[in-house]
Amino acid sequence: MEATYKPSQSIKIATALMLAVGIAAVVVGFTTDPSRTWANLLLNNMFFLTISIGALMFYSLQYITQSSWSAMFQRIPLALGAFLPVAAILMLLLYFGLPDIYKWAQPNITETDKLIAHKSPFLNVPFYMIRMVVYFTLWISLGYALRKFSVKEDQKADIKYYKKSSFFSKVFVFISVIFFSLAAIDWIMTIDAHWYSTLFGFRVMVTSMYYAVALIVLLLFFLNDKGYFTQLNKAHRNDLARYLFRFSIIFGYLWFMQFLIIWYADIPELTAYYYPRFVGEWQGFFYAEIVINFAIPFLALMSDEIGRKKEVLIAISLLLVVGLWISLFLQIMPGSYGEIRFGFVEVGLWIGYAGLFVIIVLESLSRSALIPKNHPMLEESVHHHL
Amino acid sequence: MSYKHIIGVFDDEALLLKAFRKLKKNGANIKDIYGPFADHDLMKAFAPESRLPYLSFVFAVMTIIGAFGFLYYTAVIDYPLNYSGKPYFSFPSMVVVLFLLTILVTGGLSVVTFLGRTQLFPGKEAKMPDPQAMDNRFYLVLDQNFNPEDIKKWLKESGAEDVLEKEIDF
Repeated sequence: MEATYKPSQSIKIATALMLAVGIAAVVVGFTTDPSRTWANLLLNNMFFLTISIGALMFYSLQYITQSSWSAMFQRIPLALGAFLPVAAILMLLLYFGLPDIYKWAQPNITETDKLIAHKSPFLNVPFYMIRMVVYFTLWISLGYALRKFSVKEDQKADIKYYKKSSFFSKVFVFISVIFFSLAAIDWIMTIDAHWYSTLFGFRVMVTSMYYAVALIVLLLFFLNDKGYFTQLNKAHRNDLARYLFRFSIIFGYLWFMQFLIIWYADIPELTAYYYPRFVGEWQGFFYAEIVINFAIPFLALMSDEIGRKKEVLIAISLLLVVGLWISLFLQIMPGSYGEIRFGFVEVGLWIGYAGLFVIIVLESLSRSALIPKNHPMLEESVHHHL
Repeated sequence: MSYKHIIGVFDDEALLLKAFRKLKKNGANIKDIYGPFADHDLMKAFAPESRLPYLSFVFAVMTIIGAFGFLYYTAVIDYPLNYSGKPYFSFPSMVVVLFLLTILVTGGLSVVTFLGRTQLFPGKEAKMPDPQAMDNRFYLVLDQNFNPEDIKKWLKESGAEDVLEKEIDF
């Protein structure tokens, strides 16, 4: 129970190689097609940011609901949140590529496009960057506070750290519900500046927890295979499966509501967004998104007996990683780059980001004990049963 | 029909669980357990895995197929109406109705199945081994056909507060 995880040498080499592939993809991308590369950078930023924010929201929810079952592995969502500062730097670098991604950021667009001119008090580059800085400042500082009290609890057994964590969890959930919804609107929805959906920000914010749980499952079983978390039992797996199952329903519900209202109302400005996706050339991705993110997890995890099998959980979680990529690809690419291109730039960039993400998360995990030492609900978590 | 039953009265659900396991191992015929609250360990030990969820799934699949047929018949074959230029058969508009009908019909059928299987109905008089059985004691009801003397001995040994013999209707 006292064990601390240290990433092995082979993992470090593997992530360094992945990072090298990513850098190669950036170089190749910028020499051949900068616009496509910028869009892919945004996609990957959002991919890993979604997981980080979702993981911290999951962590906060455990405190708010006073859940005991997850106390044992709560360092995992905390470590997944450690990517936030890096995500902030990578996101701020997008400043140089804004006109390639967003139509509203192109110079002189307000003279020809009346709608964008009308929205320009909100959609302009300086205000966009200011908002980005505000979001990241809030998330990183609150993420830091959550980590600080969790680590302090290890050194001194005192209920006050639990209470502090609990308080900052409430603040974090409040902040992230508002600002991650706004961030999703800012960074993804404004790609199609003429289009809007009031559900969009909320949908991205809520489903971020879905993918975060998938990553928690993957990391948990990775460490379990290495000989950590020996107390992990059927009940924990059952609860993780239930989490994924519930979120698959929420995903399907929100995804369909966003689509249904626009499809039914048939207002030209709004259907312009769905036309290329629903009947145009992006149709394959449109159906793949709902099948992978909703239909397969929903059917596979419906039975608790099947869902709590380790292999099923891992398979579904790996599927959801693909699902998140397809989901973001479908949201970002049609409006920014405009063509379906899948090649070295897409794969290489994702591999590079994944390498960076994995090494940062594992380093963050190794900086403190893997299982929190003085968490008041630790015993209950270890002996969790149905 | 009333038969004579042996009833073990327990103060503690942990003791009851211990007695339960011992009796079960020795082949006693345990009829039912009464208690003031639900205990997961007891429920898992006593009740076999419920097959109701599987039946509910079958109900749900049947309802989806039936409801789809109904919607298709009404919207396309029997009374086609043009709503804002949409095709007569447009699946997105059916999804919400399918979803709600599935929940309604599956829920209703599952309740009916459950009541039928457990032979319950609204207003049925509860079968209680003792008026106290839902207050503050756990009651373990046993068939007395299988060496009753041993059963009484085992009950006493595993910490039963009292051992009753009563004619109850089961």
